[in-house]
Amino acid sequence: MKAKDLMIPLQEYLEPDNTLKEAANLLRIALRGEEKIGVKALPVLDASGNLIGILSIGDILKAVHPAYMDLMNLGSFAWDGMVETFAQKASGKKVRDLMTSKVITVKEDATLMECIDHMLKNKVKRVPVLNKEHRVTGMLYERDMFYEITKSMINENTGGGK
Amino acid sequence: MTEEVAAATTQVVMGSSFWIATAIFLIAYAVIVSEKIHKTIVAVFGAGVMLILKILEQHEAFHVEEFGIDWNVIFLLISMMVIINLMRPTGVFEYIAVKSAKLGKGEPFRILVIFAIVTAVLSALLDNVTTVLLIVPVTILIADALQVDALPYLISCALASNIGGTATLIGDPPNIMIASKAQLSFMDFIYHLSPIVIIIMVFYVFAIKLIWGKKLKTKEELKTRIMSMEENEAIKDPVMLKKSLFVLAIVLTGFIFHGVLHFQPATVALFGAGLLLLLSKTHEPHHILAEVEWPTIFFFMGLFIIIGGVVKVGLIKWMSVQVLELTQGNMFATSMVVMWFSAFASAFIDNIPYVATMNPLIVDMAKQLWPDLSGTQLLHHADLMPLWWSLALGACLGGNGTAIGASANVIVVGMSEKLGKRISFGKFMLYGMPIMVMTVLVATVYVWLRYYVLKI
Repeated sequence: MKAKDLMIPLQEYLEPDNTLKEAANLLRIALRGEEKIGVKALPVLDASGNLIGILSIGDILKAVHPAYMDLMNLGSFAWDGMVETFAQKASGKKVRDLMTSKVITVKEDATLMECIDHMLKNKVKRVPVLNKEHRVTGMLYERDMFYEITKSMINENTGGGK
Repeated sequence: MTEEVAAATTQVVMGSSFWIATAIFLIAYAVIVSEKIHKTIVAVFGAGVMLILKILEQHEAFHVEEFGIDWNVIFLLISMMVIINLMRPTGVFEYIAVKSAKLGKGEPFRILVIFAIVTAVLSALLDNVTTVLLIVPVTILIADALQVDALPYLISCALASNIGGTATLIGDPPNIMIASKAQLSFMDFIYHLSPIVIIIMVFYVFAIKLIWGKKLKTKEELKTRIMSMEENEAIKDPVMLKKSLFVLAIVLTGFIFHGVLHFQPATVALFGAGLLLLLSKTHEPHHILAEVEWPTIFFFMGLFIIIGGVVKVGLIKWMSVQVLELTQGNMFATSMVVMWFSAFASAFIDNIPYVATMNPLIVDMAKQLWPDLSGTQLLHHADLMPLWWSLALGACLGGNGTAIGASANVIVVGMSEKLGKRISFGKFMLYGMPIMVMTVLVATVYVWLRYYVLKI
């Protein structure tokens, strides 16, 4: 099995000028296969379809977390309602300013072990899958990888490759 | 007087090494001011050129006090940085900041004043760069909680840290450098600079009352956000905190008595750093040492070598002759020129290279005025002492003039930008320059009154 066999083919993506509000909404209702149950990250493509970043729900969390809290241990001094205030402030920000622009990708015909290798070494949970023309054709998510692994565990005699 | 000066001028031989060294010095300073290349790189490369061209021999750069690296400054800085790096994770600074905000009862202006005083005191005892690094994040949190503009708190943090840092030997790098060059003790600074810094702080509080007093308002219900913060939760490592406070107490006591006990301040600080490293029981000193601001340390080392070069060829001596000619050897006039020139110079250029240049200049000036004296008799000549204090006051307080005047300002502006609260150069100067002029004026009156009228 290769990356392209396990990926969710690209249906939705974000544009750099989307606001965070639009992006969050799309993340919530994005298609996973047939169902609109949301995804944990979406690729960001520019006008000509090139991959320029990825926005995950972690980036949304970061968008409401003020940078000064990164610098010191101030978590215990936050107040009730702080997240709501910062969420409202952040909703108009642009995807381009909050996305992760250094994207870890895999090629369509990468083996699953290569994909796991990339995910673990780069500490990412979703990777865009690129074709030979460097275009995004789908997204490979950690949890699909997990299902594939459990399948092999439960049904041991299918082990090996196809 | 004028004959003496003329005689001294002739001693400077303006040969090829004089001009080469002067060129290296001027180019290096110009590039540092332009900020085209990182100042540390400029200083280290400039030092390398001084050595490779044999303007300065390596042993002079490393081992001769007059021309070389001032290891006293280097080790004092490194040691204090190590102590603070070990203290920081304990949470003591968050504790102090939150406690101060609660002391202000959630009242925005009262918090501004308390933060200014706390920043000034911490800057006097630690160094002001570290202080602002620790205060700024909490400051913005508090401003956000009270839904007030963070700008007054940020600017005041920088200004108060420079004022507070002026008070002690360890408060601000210029003082560390002056103390080492002039062989002044920690208590000399306490005796001569701390009183005026306290007076200046009083003026400063009135000034910020005038500027921001009426503008900072918040709602009652927001104050409860501050009052419900639990400062004890900030302490992450109470055991290490006790050890740190113990060592800090030893170090500060050591500073107080270093003059009497004939220890250099660096000895005291190095002992403290070593002791706290030992007590921390860390097996990985690597990251503690890696957090030392090495770029600053190397900037100092490079700079000392460059200055050593121009001292050796006589440029500094020549400059000191010019100053004495300008002031006709009148010591009061000289100290006023030193203070005000230092203030404006440090407002626009880094006060570290400035003081590194002024230190030997003042020593050369003293040598021309009292050619028969040497050692502390020369450095501590009653007529020379006000000059050291004028240099310290001018260089430290001058840092407040602009956003680039002191490292603390650069850090505050840089952090604020990163944290989404941009402070433009003009905006900083709008507050910084009047405060600088006011504080230097107060210092001028003090120097005049204390050293030239009352002579105490």
